[in-house]
Amino acid sequence: MAKRLFLALAVALVATVARAEVPAEQDSCLGCHGSDPSMSMDLPSGEKVSLHVDLAIFGKSVHGDMLRCTDCHTDKADYPHESKPFKTRRDVTVAYYEQCKKCHFANYTKTLDGVHYQLAQKGNRQAALCVDCHGSHAIGRPGEPRTRVSVTCSNCHQKVFDVYSSSVHGKAVTQGNGDVPVCTDCHRAHDVADPRAGALSLRTAEICGRCHTDQKLMKRYNLSTNVVDSYLSDFHGMAASLQKGKKGKGDRLAAGCTDCHGVHDIQRPDDPRSSVMQANLVKTCGKCHEGATADFPKAWMSHYEPSLKKSPLVWSVQVFYYVLIPFILISLLIQIALHLWRVVVNR
Amino acid sequence: MSEAAVKEKAGYLVRFTPAQRVEHFVTMVDFVGLVATGLPQKFYTAKWAQALITAMGGIDSVRWVHRFFGVVLIIAVVWHGIGALRAILSRKVGFSMAVNKRDFTDAVQTLRYYLGLEDHPAAFDRYDYKQKWEYWSLMIGNVIMILSGLTLMYPTFVARLGPGEIIPAAKVAHSNEGLMAFLVITIWHIFNAHLHPDVFPFDASIFTGKISRERMEHEHPLELARAEGREPPGHH
Repeated sequence: MAKRLFLALAVALVATVARAEVPAEQDSCLGCHGSDPSMSMDLPSGEKVSLHVDLAIFGKSVHGDMLRCTDCHTDKADYPHESKPFKTRRDVTVAYYEQCKKCHFANYTKTLDGVHYQLAQKGNRQAALCVDCHGSHAIGRPGEPRTRVSVTCSNCHQKVFDVYSSSVHGKAVTQGNGDVPVCTDCHRAHDVADPRAGALSLRTAEICGRCHTDQKLMKRYNLSTNVVDSYLSDFHGMAASLQKGKKGKGDRLAAGCTDCHGVHDIQRPDDPRSSVMQANLVKTCGKCHEGATADFPKAWMSHYEPSLKKSPLVWSVQVFYYVLIPFILISLLIQIALHLWRVVVNR
Repeated sequence: MSEAAVKEKAGYLVRFTPAQRVEHFVTMVDFVGLVATGLPQKFYTAKWAQALITAMGGIDSVRWVHRFFGVVLIIAVVWHGIGALRAILSRKVGFSMAVNKRDFTDAVQTLRYYLGLEDHPAAFDRYDYKQKWEYWSLMIGNVIMILSGLTLMYPTFVARLGPGEIIPAAKVAHSNEGLMAFLVITIWHIFNAHLHPDVFPFDASIFTGKISRERMEHEHPLELARAEGREPPGHH
């Protein structure tokens, strides 16, 4: 950070020396932009862009002690400013957003794999750019507080946010609980995956597992950490891990966590709205298993290991083979050994 | 010279009919197919299993191939069942795989012979106790594999007939019975049909249908005697 600060100062200094008649110092800019809160510019679209910068807010931002106005507003070093043909507010945002990558190259590169960038490339000008999530002059530390993240996403994704807010995770977030996942924990922040491709739902064992296998964390809520292992050792988990997100023609990908538990609307299993509530299970299984009837959900052992108490039939079959296989194999091997021994002795 | 006479002269007897040989061949290929597509599914976390599944075009195609071989197995078992039923019903042939008291005394005598407590192993008829054991293990195993396999193929249908717990139980049974069949075949069948000192390196009779008179005398003296209209040689 010190190095960057030094660099910024050095650049500013050189700029000042070279073009002393155009002061690029913060104070010079704020002489105009910091004094009149009503300072604004009218755009052809009829929108107004505020040209006022509150020094108090910028000063408290992560860049406050580090960046000068012209580090981002590179084209505004001259006065009078060169006029830009902005038609809408969005034009302004799109024009300035690439400034971030000068310093934040790694995260900028990540966004190139993200769904927002893909949409932007296809011409969707509403797709989120750096400043849409991070803000501009008031940029704070990312994820502080964590609970703010989902609110940020809700600026565009209001409908999904409403569903999330009433889920077991979302409700906790609104109560200020930082243990629960916010949007970016599952969707990631910069390389946001397109959930429609199905790749995300196949990774759910890993994504959900990050918290649901964390013993310390789960103990706080009295939840089992065996849920991922029991899923992976059963049919769905095995199929999902082998499919690896690859979908052949006509293939249906095996159920991941979210296919049964829901995605944004996850509830406690004892909540009547939960898709894994006993009463709702037939419908939930029926999403993939056409014609599932009342007893079908028992085909799934609800993340429990088979035991005499929980699934006596499964447990008995298991024990039967645990005894039978070694018994048969050892008997056969003994007989082969005796047979060969006899052959050798007879010779 | 008649065909039988030629064989007799060459010192060979016909042990298996062409239909039986075809049946064994189909079952053998089918078994390899089922094992190749089934075991990697059981051990899906292992590297070799994942490599095999990828090589076979991914889990979804592996499953379809496995089901195809499964259907072939069902046909083969039904086919065999019809044949066995016909043999039982025709007085002439009889059901030579039927287990009787002799098989147990034969087993005891042979084991005693291995241990050096008897001078001779038991004298066997058309099928010895080991062959009968393998036959019945395979038959019972096939029924378990077919029923549990169909359960896994049609889980919603099965859950309509009985408790849903049958489905995970069928999965455990299918997985373990399959592994056991694989191990028994690789250990027991490979030993008896390939590594056994009498037949090493390869007992070809199930493929050629022929067996030498010498081997018959040694391995199936009772059957040979009956075929030749003699009294069976003395045994204990």
